Amino acid sequence: MCCSHNITEKDIQPGRQDSSYLEKIKGMQFFDPHVHMTSRTTDDYQAMADAGVVALIEPAFWLGQPRTGVDTFRDYYSSLIGWERFRSSQFGIKHYCTIGLNSREANNEALAEQVMELLPLFIYKEGVVGVGEIGFDDQTAAEEKYYRLQLELAKEAGLPVQIHTPHRDKKRGTTRSMDIATEQGLDPYMVIVDHNNEETVKEVLDRGFWAAFTIYPFTKMGNERMAEIVKQYGTERIMVNSAADWGISDPLAVPKTAALMKAKGISDADIRMVTYQNAITAFGQSGQINEADFAAVKEIDQSRKFSGNTVLRGGQQPRIDKNSVIIQ
Amino acid sequence: MFSYPVKELSVIVSTIIKQHINDAAWNWLQEKVVQNLPVAQFNAVFAMIPRKTGKSPVELTDIQRTEVQRLYPGLSFEGWSVDRLSRVWLLMNRDSTAEDQYVAAIENLFLAADMNELVALYSALPLLDYPSRWKARCAEGIRSNIGDVLTAIMCDNPYPAACLDEPAWNQLVMKAFFTDKPVDRIYRLDQRANAELAKILSDYAHERWAAGRRMNPQLWRCVAKFIDEKNFADIQRIGSSSDLLEREAAALACNDSHYPPAKEWLSRHAELKTAIDNRTLSWSTIAAGRAVTG
Repeated sequence: MCCSHNITEKDIQPGRQDSSYLEKIKGMQFFDPHVHMTSRTTDDYQAMADAGVVALIEPAFWLGQPRTGVDTFRDYYSSLIGWERFRSSQFGIKHYCTIGLNSREANNEALAEQVMELLPLFIYKEGVVGVGEIGFDDQTAAEEKYYRLQLELAKEAGLPVQIHTPHRDKKRGTTRSMDIATEQGLDPYMVIVDHNNEETVKEVLDRGFWAAFTIYPFTKMGNERMAEIVKQYGTERIMVNSAADWGISDPLAVPKTAALMKAKGISDADIRMVTYQNAITAFGQSGQINEADFAAVKEIDQSRKFSGNTVLRGGQQPRIDKNSVIIQ
Repeated sequence: MFSYPVKELSVIVSTIIKQHINDAAWNWLQEKVVQNLPVAQFNAVFAMIPRKTGKSPVELTDIQRTEVQRLYPGLSFEGWSVDRLSRVWLLMNRDSTAEDQYVAAIENLFLAADMNELVALYSALPLLDYPSRWKARCAEGIRSNIGDVLTAIMCDNPYPAACLDEPAWNQLVMKAFFTDKPVDRIYRLDQRANAELAKILSDYAHERWAAGRRMNPQLWRCVAKFIDEKNFADIQRIGSSSDLLEREAAALACNDSHYPPAKEWLSRHAELKTAIDNRTLSWSTIAAGRAVTG
């Protein structure tokens, strides 16, 4: 594929080896404010770094099956601020996270009570940029209860909130999530409403909340639709994320969407707003994001790798040549 | 009780911290440190410290450095950030009267710690009360794969040499070589050398040779006193290496050995022997990666 060919969504599906879209976004920096790296491989980290992702936020979420005890919640939260952060730093990507009890598991009330006691231990940690992802899944009474309690916690800690909106009955679920946040006395400017689509975006923006869009194949937004949304609504309080996780998803969704927007004539300044700056402005209200750290994690990381101070295995090289059949 | 003069050291640490943070942060921290906070608040203060203190690197005066060494040989705050020192200071001042509660409160911090907190916690091991209660924790820390955590345990930390039993100590040294740590900063590395460790490191060297990979020539510093008919071939091998640093390491190892063939080997390498005798060649020059002969 060459410059004469206009890229389409098809060209940049996950798993496709063609990386010529990278040419379009050369030199651009991206911030993915929603990606579950715990579920991803080092190949993904490498590809994200190569595509210009300099920092990301990993929200605490559901692991695909229900947890049975509070200790596994603690270990999970602790891995988000520990091991995963370290893993990310090895690729020069600054890793932040949000901490919260996800909506599905709020339905196990006995467990949810214990998790609520655990949360204050984690939300004041360095690099925790919000309470999230919380909100509704099934829209049950238990979900509402723990959603409200966590909104209180965020308010008390002065942290932004990252809201997951439900797949089913999305429009009403989104409205209800915002109603409750307002009732609990949160400033809409401190709340990032996630997984928007064409049906929800107008109300979210009109009410002063941040609107995040997840580019996720098949079930959420496609990025051609995303480009249209930016054309229609502009860039204020809009951000793009991948929400890549253990499902078929794409950790390169943000840079790919940037490439597509560029191909569709959206300006570099506007692309930067929705794929980098707005996420920093919104989550930076936690006081935990310092853009200088993005460069620092790279420098420190490389000196670490090259001086061999903190690599995992003696003699391991920082890069593996994927095209070589010889493994040394 | 404490294995060192905790009050005196705490005064020096507080002076260093005060020099590196603003008045508001100092007042906040000092107030928190003097109280014996309930566990929930203690947890929150421990987590919040960097928000208040910032993370600037600490610089000690020569007098402070000497004082720290006098009060606690092997302890060093070089390269620390002020949040790390402040966290350690908080831990040093935790009321330890009730042993089990004291240990439980600090153990609990390990369970929910982020990377920087782990670094501070492991750095604090030599400064905690009831030293023998932290052996398993220290050994657990050596199992970490996070580089900075390992460095905090292995380098400039007097706790492992003082408290770890031989298998855990050997694991620390082996892992330090395996993860390319600056092993010369392992406190009492030479004093705690032992026959079992020498065997482990010799096996490791053979693995590296088989894989065609380099290794840190300081490895032989832990083998030196245990050179015997079995591993002397290793020393001869590095003694004829094309890498000058390895030949120098062979000479130093022979110099530290009482095994007659090793002594004999050294006497046949006059230039290396002279360099050792007039102290231009030492394990420090090897650690610095600086070949001094040839």
